[in-house]
Amino acid sequence: MEDVQVIAMLVRRCVAGDAGAWEEIVQTYNRRIYNICYRFAGSANDAEDLTQEVFIKMYRTLSSYDASKGAFVTWVTTITRNLLVDHFRKTKQDRLTDSIDAPVSAQEDAQPLSEQIHDQSAPPDAHVRSREAGETVHAALGKLSPELREAVILRDLQDLDYREIATVLKVPEGTVKSRINRGRAELARLLQRTYRQVM
Amino acid sequence: MPEHTNHGIECHEFDSLLADAIDGILSGAELDRFQAHARTCSACGPLLAEAKAGRNWLKGLSEVNPPANLINNILASTTGIDSQRLRNNVPTPQRTSLWERMQAWVSGVVQPVFAQTWASVRQPRFAMSFGMAFFSISVALSVLGVKPADLSHVSLRPAAIRHTYYNTQARVVRYYENIRFVYEVESRVRELKRNVEPVQPAPNEAAPEKKEHKDDTTQQPEQKQERNYSQTENHLVLASARLGPSVNDAFRKNDPSVVLVSTYRRFV
Repeated sequence: MEDVQVIAMLVRRCVAGDAGAWEEIVQTYNRRIYNICYRFAGSANDAEDLTQEVFIKMYRTLSSYDASKGAFVTWVTTITRNLLVDHFRKTKQDRLTDSIDAPVSAQEDAQPLSEQIHDQSAPPDAHVRSREAGETVHAALGKLSPELREAVILRDLQDLDYREIATVLKVPEGTVKSRINRGRAELARLLQRTYRQVM
Repeated sequence: MPEHTNHGIECHEFDSLLADAIDGILSGAELDRFQAHARTCSACGPLLAEAKAGRNWLKGLSEVNPPANLINNILASTTGIDSQRLRNNVPTPQRTSLWERMQAWVSGVVQPVFAQTWASVRQPRFAMSFGMAFFSISVALSVLGVKPADLSHVSLRPAAIRHTYYNTQARVVRYYENIRFVYEVESRVRELKRNVEPVQPAPNEAAPEKKEHKDDTTQQPEQKQERNYSQTENHLVLASARLGPSVNDAFRKNDPSVVLVSTYRRFV
């Protein structure tokens, strides 16, 4: 995924005060970090601000990065995830989310996901690659609990391996796999319920 | 999830193999047992189907493009201009201890500043400047007789520092005042000042006349300390002033009264 030596050299140059190296790091990782933030926070504005915060923190702590302890992308993703958790606690979204363990509430049945995202048209298979389908899945992703959401985002959207995810989330690999399975299954149930309401 | 065994696999084992199965890592007999369990178990079969479906939904999501100005904003933020969000989100004191805040401050402020300073210091022109400064300081210290070995014996207690300070100050004052040249210059300056300054009538000379001296029966001016100063002034002026006719007359009469001299001083 990344050339360790090239990244280590970039980091060294950046710590030494090379503005060009820092710009190169920003250009390389801004898209990845923005996508993680967007999928987790759910809003483009929040994602933009969170991405800036991640880079500010990276800039301040870049000298603490040790290439021998792990890949740079894992370090960056850990910073991003920690800031996302802080953001989640501040915005109190945990009260609005449900997980696969929680029973479906009457309120949720009264206002299904399909009504919230205004998707009133075609069957699911035809929508996978369309923009509306993307918005549907994105909205369903936001309904997952934060633990399941971050696990599936890192695995299925960012293509990190289980060991890297375990490092980022600071949990064992078995827990990572379990969360990914549960996250995927709950997402499928949410989407099935959505399209059942539509049809 | 019900815990039962089907085809040699328990449900919790199925759960641990589920991710690998979806990734296509499982093979051989293990894959066969996994698939057999999924076909027969009423709980694990649907779970496999849902997990596969969920993964397909997620893989269908495409990457979103960041805003066009994001990179510029990040570069501006990292050079000192923070975002509106950072300004609004003041860190709550109850969540971080003093030690954590100090560590964050050290890692966040001192290290980048030190790194940038170190990068600029390593340039040749700064190295030459520092070399010259070091040379000058060491020459100055050797001329003043300061030895680095003496510094280890210096007591840093507040009382000792205060004592050293007053001793040094007194030594410097004594040294300065005992310089012959300084002493001569100061005495000459004092003398010149006394000769050049016009004599101002003392503002309180007339005042005693108006003042009622109820207790004074001698009708003499009040015995104040200023009197000594005025007498001294008169003698000095008398010694250095040119002798005018009235003064000569007064001297001839051997009666250089105070009134005469002070009148003369007013006309100078």
